[in-house]
Amino acid sequence: MRRSRQLLLATILVFSAAACDEKLADIAGPTPDLEPTFASIQKDIFETTDSAGRTSCVTCHTNVGRNPAGGLNLVHDLAYDQLVNVASTQLPTLKRVNPGSPDTSYIVHKIEGRAGITGRRMPFNGPPYLTDGQALILKRWIELGAPRN
Amino acid sequence: MTRTLARLLTAAAFALCVAPAAHAQDDDSVLKPAEPDFQLVSLPTALRLPKYKSAFLITHRFEGPLKHSGIGDLFGLDAGAQIGIEYRMGIVKNGQVGFYRTSDKTIQFFGEYGILRQGAKSPVEVAAVLSAEGTNNFKDSYSPSVGAVVSRRLGEFAALYVVPTWVNNTNTLPKQLADNNDTITLGFGGRFRIRPTVYVVAEVTPRVSGYKPGTNQASFAIEKRAGGHMFQLNVSNGPASMPASLARGAFSNDNWYLGFNLSRKFF
Repeated sequence: MRRSRQLLLATILVFSAAACDEKLADIAGPTPDLEPTFASIQKDIFETTDSAGRTSCVTCHTNVGRNPAGGLNLVHDLAYDQLVNVASTQLPTLKRVNPGSPDTSYIVHKIEGRAGITGRRMPFNGPPYLTDGQALILKRWIELGAPRN
Repeated sequence: MTRTLARLLTAAAFALCVAPAAHAQDDDSVLKPAEPDFQLVSLPTALRLPKYKSAFLITHRFEGPLKHSGIGDLFGLDAGAQIGIEYRMGIVKNGQVGFYRTSDKTIQFFGEYGILRQGAKSPVEVAAVLSAEGTNNFKDSYSPSVGAVVSRRLGEFAALYVVPTWVNNTNTLPKQLADNNDTITLGFGGRFRIRPTVYVVAEVTPRVSGYKPGTNQASFAIEKRAGGHMFQLNVSNGPASMPASLARGAFSNDNWYLGFNLSRKFF
């Protein structure tokens, strides 16, 4: 009986340690390395055209050889300061990225094509647009306070 | 002298009456009228399965809410159902293992071990329960759980249950996208014998910490025992019938759904 109980306790401990989780890459779709950090979003969303054909944001949102579309410049060293806690020029009542609040961040409204946006859903030449998983990862970064990480 | 003899005879008679009763109490093949089955509606009971004996269960959770259903769609039955099939077997004394599959292709493997037996030494029965669920025929999204069933039979007329459980990976999002990926539930339930073979059952599974969307699942049922069979008609506010699905909660308290459990003990 004592041996049975020890075996049961050992089984419970092993079982408890075998914690499971889903893989982020499974929902990141065409950007399997995408994570909810600014560096990752900048690299995989803003600066890279992904394998599904969704064009990079810096195709239009750049000051290299043109004026940035919508007055938003997402080139590498300027992107964070252009986004976080900056009022949208298209809908000044909303910030482009409102730390902690994806639903009141205009960038989310634009990439999801929500009602009330000015102009078109982003990216401009979509579809393809960001996948639900990519949008979820972007929103999580905002939810976590949009850190400069 | 006569008085002493009378006392001895009384003691002997008492011993003769009690000894078989205690033996019967430890014989898991003997029906315990207050605890006739291995589950309430979705929560497990502490009922032990004799070694090498088995039991079978079919669950139905109809998908049409009663609120929007009538006789025209047979109170939700026309909307289809989530169907589950379970088989369990006693593999050692006090220990049983089993599997349960629902029609959403979720498979649960579980084991239960009776640790304490209600009797002179313990006022309650205690069993440990281990379980692992996996979606897509146990290929994706695994949710292990560790729990206990604490029960107290009240004579032959009722049994009360407390079922604390820790469930991992209840949030289907990766941990990088979620604040909580575990849930601790504290199920409460009771089975009340209102006629010799008729019972009413109630259970609720509050989530006390961790990931807890929606609302807590609750169920009510009436059931009829017929030999080794139990026929149960239940009403729930959600279709959950496994630890992880109970942890993910029910839809709302506005919609209630019909369901039934059919079980058969092979002993």
